[in-house]
Amino acid sequence: MTNHFVDYRNTDVFLIIGANPAEAHPMAMHSIGMAKGKGAKIIVVDSRFTKTASKADIYAPLRPGTDIAFLYGIMNYAIQNNLYHHEYVVNYTNASYLVSPEYGFSDGLFSGLEEKDGKLTYDSKKWDYQKEGENIKKDPTLQDPQCVFQILKRHVSRYDLKTVSQVTGTPEDILREVCATYCTTGKPGKAGNVIYAMGITQHSYGSQNVRATAMLQLLLGNIGIAGGGVNAQRGKSNVQGSSDLAMLYNYIPGYLNCPIAPKHPTLKDYLEVETPKTSYWSNKPKFLISMLKAWYGESATKENDFCYDWLPKLDGKDHSHMAIFADIAAGKVKGLFAWGQNPAVGGPLASAERMALEKLDWMVSIDVFENETAAFWKRPGVNPANIKTEVFLLPAAFSYEKEATITNSGRWVQFRWKAIDPPGKAKSDLWIADRIFKAIRQEYQSGGKFPDPILNMVWNYDLPGSEEPDLEKVATEINGYTVADGKILSTFANLKDDGSTACGLWIYCGYWAIDPKEEDPRLKVPAAKRRGREDKSGLGLYPKWAFSWPLNRRIVYNRCSADPAGRPWNPEKVLVAWDGVRWITNDVPDFKAKDPETKEPVPPEKTANAPFIMLPEGQGRLFASGMKEGPLPEHYEPVESPVKNLISKQQNNPLAKRWKGEFAKLAETASKEFPYAATTHRLIEHYQTGTETRNCPWLVELMPEMFATISPTLAGKLGIKPGDEVIVSSARGEIKCKANVLPIVKPLSVNGRTIEIVALPWHWGYQGLAQGSIANDLTPYIGDANTSIPEYKGFLCNIKKA
Amino acid sequence: MPKGVLVDVTRCFGCRSCQVACKQWNDIPATPTTFNNSWDNPPELNAYNWTRVEYHLIEKDNQIKWRFVKRQCMHCEEPACESACFTHSFVKTKEGPVIYKPTELKQDFCVGCRYCMIACPFNIPKFEWDKALPFLRKCRFCNDRLHEGLEPACVAACPSGALKFGEKEELLAEARQRIDANPAYIKHIYGEKEYGGTSWLYLSDVPFEEIGFKTGVSEKPIPLYSWEVLRWTPYIFVGWGAILTALYFYTKRRAEVHAEEDMYTAVETMEEEKK
Amino acid sequence: MQRAWSFKLTPTRYILIALVALMIIVAIVRFIFGLGMVTNLNDHWPWGLWIGFDLLCGIALAGGGFSTALIVHVLHRGKYLPIARAALLTSMLGYVIALVALLFDIGRWINFWRPFFYWGYHSVLFEVFWCIALYTTVQILEFGDIFLERVKSFPLKKVLGYAMTPLLIVGIILPTLHQSSLGQLYVVAVDKLHPLWWSMIIGFFFVWSAFFLGPAMVTLEGTLAARAYKRTPELPIFQSLTKVTLWMMIVYLIVKIIDLVYRGVFSLAFNGSFESNMFLIEMIVFVIIPIIMYAIPAIRTKLWGVVTASVLVIVGVIFNRMNVVFTGMATQMGGHYFPSPWEWLVTLGMWSVLILAYLFIVENFPILIKEEHAKEVAVTHGASVGKSVPSGA
Ligand SMILES: Nc1nc2c(c(=O)[nH]1)N[C@H]1C(S)=C(S)[C@@H](COP(=O)(O)OP(=O)(O)OC[C@H]3O[C@@H](n4cnc5c(=O)[nH]c(N)nc54)[C@H](O)[C@@H]3O)O[C@H]1N2
Ligand SMILES: Nc1nc2c(c(=O)[nH]1)N[C@H]1C(S)=C(S)[C@@H](COP(=O)(O)OP(=O)(O)OC[C@H]3O[C@@H](n4cnc5c(=O)[nH]c(N)nc54)[C@H](O)[C@@H]3O)O[C@H]1N2
Ligand code: SF4
Ligand code: SF4
Ligand code: SF4
Ligand code: SF4
Ligand code: SF4
Ligand SMILES: [Mo]
Repeated sequence: MTNHFVDYRNTDVFLIIGANPAEAHPMAMHSIGMAKGKGAKIIVVDSRFTKTASKADIYAPLRPGTDIAFLYGIMNYAIQNNLYHHEYVVNYTNASYLVSPEYGFSDGLFSGLEEKDGKLTYDSKKWDYQKEGENIKKDPTLQDPQCVFQILKRHVSRYDLKTVSQVTGTPEDILREVCATYCTTGKPGKAGNVIYAMGITQHSYGSQNVRATAMLQLLLGNIGIAGGGVNAQRGKSNVQGSSDLAMLYNYIPGYLNCPIAPKHPTLKDYLEVETPKTSYWSNKPKFLISMLKAWYGESATKENDFCYDWLPKLDGKDHSHMAIFADIAAGKVKGLFAWGQNPAVGGPLASAERMALEKLDWMVSIDVFENETAAFWKRPGVNPANIKTEVFLLPAAFSYEKEATITNSGRWVQFRWKAIDPPGKAKSDLWIADRIFKAIRQEYQSGGKFPDPILNMVWNYDLPGSEEPDLEKVATEINGYTVADGKILSTFANLKDDGSTACGLWIYCGYWAIDPKEEDPRLKVPAAKRRGREDKSGLGLYPKWAFSWPLNRRIVYNRCSADPAGRPWNPEKVLVAWDGVRWITNDVPDFKAKDPETKEPVPPEKTANAPFIMLPEGQGRLFASGMKEGPLPEHYEPVESPVKNLISKQQNNPLAKRWKGEFAKLAETASKEFPYAATTHRLIEHYQTGTETRNCPWLVELMPEMFATISPTLAGKLGIKPGDEVIVSSARGEIKCKANVLPIVKPLSVNGRTIEIVALPWHWGYQGLAQGSIANDLTPYIGDANTSIPEYKGFLCNIKKA
Repeated sequence: MPKGVLVDVTRCFGCRSCQVACKQWNDIPATPTTFNNSWDNPPELNAYNWTRVEYHLIEKDNQIKWRFVKRQCMHCEEPACESACFTHSFVKTKEGPVIYKPTELKQDFCVGCRYCMIACPFNIPKFEWDKALPFLRKCRFCNDRLHEGLEPACVAACPSGALKFGEKEELLAEARQRIDANPAYIKHIYGEKEYGGTSWLYLSDVPFEEIGFKTGVSEKPIPLYSWEVLRWTPYIFVGWGAILTALYFYTKRRAEVHAEEDMYTAVETMEEEKK
Repeated sequence: MQRAWSFKLTPTRYILIALVALMIIVAIVRFIFGLGMVTNLNDHWPWGLWIGFDLLCGIALAGGGFSTALIVHVLHRGKYLPIARAALLTSMLGYVIALVALLFDIGRWINFWRPFFYWGYHSVLFEVFWCIALYTTVQILEFGDIFLERVKSFPLKKVLGYAMTPLLIVGIILPTLHQSSLGQLYVVAVDKLHPLWWSMIIGFFFVWSAFFLGPAMVTLEGTLAARAYKRTPELPIFQSLTKVTLWMMIVYLIVKIIDLVYRGVFSLAFNGSFESNMFLIEMIVFVIIPIIMYAIPAIRTKLWGVVTASVLVIVGVIFNRMNVVFTGMATQMGGHYFPSPWEWLVTLGMWSVLILAYLFIVENFPILIKEEHAKEVAVTHGASVGKSVPSGA
């Protein structure tokens, strides 16, 4: 999130697209409701009429997987009707940048598509900016046909409301109303807020969907302002925290790219390739070296490249979730830790993933319950005697049974105290990790293939007299400290690339620091433990509540909340403002407000050109050459789609990730066998794969059984009554569940055809108190080109009475 | 000061935290349920479900409205359950809650006749049908929490502001203010006048009868109805007794004289006496 | 000399005894496992067969006791004396059964005695409870007269005799009160009980119908008993009793119409709804037709005529009570209820007890007065009841 949940109360118009906070993020609804109470308008764009939609002023239904067309419809409307925020676009985005003449786009494909090692990829050099020496060529009048703005204008002009309506199935009048309403936020001083979640991301072009939301927000001047932003409502409660700490295979902590052996053989290579000259990322060496220092301690010296060699490196191949399971199925992986994860239910094409587990020699499940993954060897329909995998189950303490921090979508790192002791022999994950590491190190004492990193890793978390490792020590390491005296650092600005500082996660630097200037004894605690309720700005920034990375900044890119001269677009909602002499800062400024050397205020003219300090160009990207499938999003159909792409001949994202064999089963476009557009969704009563909630009787009582929602029209056509047993099938399998007949899904008219939608929650499995079919036995094994997120939210199915 | 809760249906988004919080605070076990097409399991209030969020999906002119309405005991100002109970097991406390003494105060006089269930205009009290010596159960307005100065568990859990706890008078004022400020509201505070008023009040933007409320109901407290018939008891007792005695002695004499009088006269006499 | 107690066992009686035995088993299950185990009662239908039929109808049907008491003992219509004792007996048994049914039905039966000590006087049920409890006592005392006669305990009978007059009068006031309160129970069900039945004067309808039901009950009972014991039915008595019923029913009908019109709900009777149809059946089949039958001498004077009309009246009262308890509440209570086999069994068992007890008592006590004595007894009894002169033995 650029902003945070509490900030929602400052919004004028919400565009909630592909997110259902009423079920998945109920506390977000609190703030949305507050804004509504003050007159905010709510637009909900979803394939189902959701509980969130029940609170909307405008509900726009759309066919799963057509969000880019929808968002482009709004952008086109804004540009055609001159409703975008011109001054913002000119000053704070790359709209004026001239793009290389080699950039081209025709019939759904960008220039530079080529085949490499049997795979399609783009040569993104073709999309570079035009340069004069070091400087990018610009046209502040936005008239040059090669400038980003003109390219964008041409690109989105194909998405007029009529076309969009035909693609998405959204009635044209509703579309127009959405456009007119949301574009009111293009006016300076108005805040539009795009809230998205899995309805946007879980597509074979999910990252481009996200891009489209960001572009819309830039166009309307909605980023960096109170009540605005692109707000990804992330997984709960700590998906943000785990991605910060590099849960994703292609990162190391703090969103540094994971070194790839062929690309970054040495530290020098890594730093040269990965460090841009401009932007805050130019400090990357400090982050990486401090991290290495934190990991390898005294062993890490300048001479030995701070043990860079010891860092595990990628081989350049995909090792995302789907790739791992494909490898397991291919017998390439011997052992697996399923640590707080339940792929047997949550993974795409879970039936195949369950089968893959049988190929493992051993599997360790570390979990609060014996979930479906832990019990895969005795799942319905298999004979345990035929499964050779040795399975271990380590009981883990639940979140209330241990202390630690979690990080919410708004980047707030909040400490949580332990409420009760874990039952039986359950242990905190930290305890388990500690013992496993120590045991491994013990093994390596007697030698091994490459024992150095393991034997020399900093692992000093023991707390004398306690069973549990010392959380303070772990937190200190993550926060960062000066090597000489072990003093906790309060800002990553103090990180060094000479080995004098150590820091496990640069963006968290300061989260464990105690503010020396703080007078209130209750707030004289590590930042993540603070619970100060003071909010001088009245904007819900609550600077003394926990810690918001980076640097306790609540709203990132906040320089954009004021015009180039430093006058706030909205004088009532001031994040930062130039009063003629210095900056008034309600939030921690996301720009150089003070010169670090002279401590003098930096005047607005000097800060206006780089409000996006993490980007080399310093300005928001309407056009982003870093994206795998093109610098601009383009509407493609989900890999399984009921219709042909109306926009171009290119049916699917050419770079979508596909797998082979067992994982390659797909229905053809407009399949007769699987005629309905399917998508999956969450319910408030259940959490994810349901391990936790299907073991809670009170929640089982609320939502006992798996079901599939269909429209009354489809139900009528198929003679299905509410509560009937139905069989839902896809090219990959079938499941049995109850029929839920509600007008919350409606047939959509797509280019003259009527498309029925089948919506499936995915919270059931064969373990726990309440059992039911697994929706993911139907989902396709298809990944987004940039992130490999599976296409959970757009595939084809059939449904019939059981 | 009497407390109340203002339930603003326009704010509720059906998260049902209140439902779970109620069970948690009051230590109520889960009941077995099966698939429910409208999603609002358990399907109705019972001894183990004192509150329930009803989901009302209203489709009109191709527009869908989905409203979520938390229901529980209304904690009537003059409760029918109290007046119906001949063992005085339900009482309205001065703080607002209508409590059931056998469980709340361990004053167990209830015979389990279930007349309270017949009497309650909102069909609230529920019976432990599965117990050998069942109690009546219903929302207790978290009486214990109120005594500790806390808001009810359901209110504390509500993320939307749909539930607001406070002094009833202040809540009424706030409700009026919300209605005045926003034309979307139905101009009616449900519970302000119904059956003489209730401690739980409702605001809505769809007509109350479309979301399961009985509208156009009596504004007279139900206890008044029974009182109006009961207050005649002593007079009937004495009056009817006197008539009967008089008749007895009068007709006794006559009977001795005309042993075989025709019945019609008797009927006529009776008619006269009745009037 | 005291005759030995006798009870002849016939096949029918064996069946009845078997039913009672089964009932006792069900009752034990009910007391151990709760109402949910044996009944189909639920939160929508807290009151079912036992309250609706055994209590509400039972008490109404037992109304024969107080109406004949009024006619015979207060109005001193001695000629009806031959049926008075039978009426008293059935009535008393009816009450005892109703009380037992109530004990079965109440959830916290161990607390059944509490209301004696804890006075929720603002409840209509309080009045019902006390009246029924007292009246049952009064009836037992009244019956004590007969019992003592049977066991030839004349000194005791004499003592009781002094109390007889006030007992009789109280024994009429109390049922008047509780017969009406049974209806008044539903006054609180405003907006719940369908307006065709709900009324502030529902109590009047209940007591009035319980009263005019009396003669009909006596007629039916008398006919059945006469058949069973091979005597001639006392047709003349029945005929003249029907006149009471006739006039009272006419009043009932008129008041009903006035009440409906006054409350502005008269038209609801004709709107074709389930409730309106049930109401029309109740009024036409069970009120208007009996009125006509009673009013036409050609029918009234025939045994079949008077018995048919009486049956209609009896079924009509039951029908009315069922309409109040079930039909009229259905919309507002929602849900479903149909008595479980066990509930039926308990009801059957209970009524079997009643029949068996009736038979036993009739066969062992001076209940059915010999015809040849009837007239004589009528005179003497009418003149002497207050003085408690033994009669008719
Ligand atoms: N109660 C509960 N809360 C949760 C979770 C949970 O399992 N249960 N999970 C947590 C996690 S890890 C996450 S990631 C978040 C996810 O939170 P959300 O993303 O909000 O949850 P979803 O229900 O998966 O998807 C959101 C909506 O996308 C809609 N949708 C489906 N396909 C499309 C489409 O193609 N376009 C658009 N515009 N909409 C579409 C669905 O109908 C659904 O309403 O929730 C978190 N919170
Ligand atoms: N069809 C479909 N599939 C989806 C999605 C979708 O929208 N549609 N959403 C996807 C998304 S966004 C996500 S995030 C994934 C989630 O997929 P998973 O992460 O596999 O699902 P969870 O149920 O969250 O699994 C977490 C496991 O951790 C255990 N656990 C809980 N607390 C602790 C703890 O403190 N320690 C340990 N060791 N274990 C603990 C739980 O018991 C549970 O078994 O599912 C994905 N799958
Ligand atoms: S994370 Fe916790 S507080 Fe936040 S919405 Fe979910 S349940 Fe509520
Ligand atoms: S709603 Fe019913 S149970 Fe609650 S106080 Fe009123 S009458 Fe009593
Ligand atoms: S069931 Fe208990 S609380 Fe209800 S009326 Fe009867 S005695 Fe009173
Ligand atoms: S007030 Fe208490 S008892 Fe009543 S519904 Fe709320 S939590 Fe349950
Ligand atoms: S907790 Fe609040 S928002 Fe949630 S269902 Fe209950 S009343 Fe509605
Ligand atoms: Mo997630």
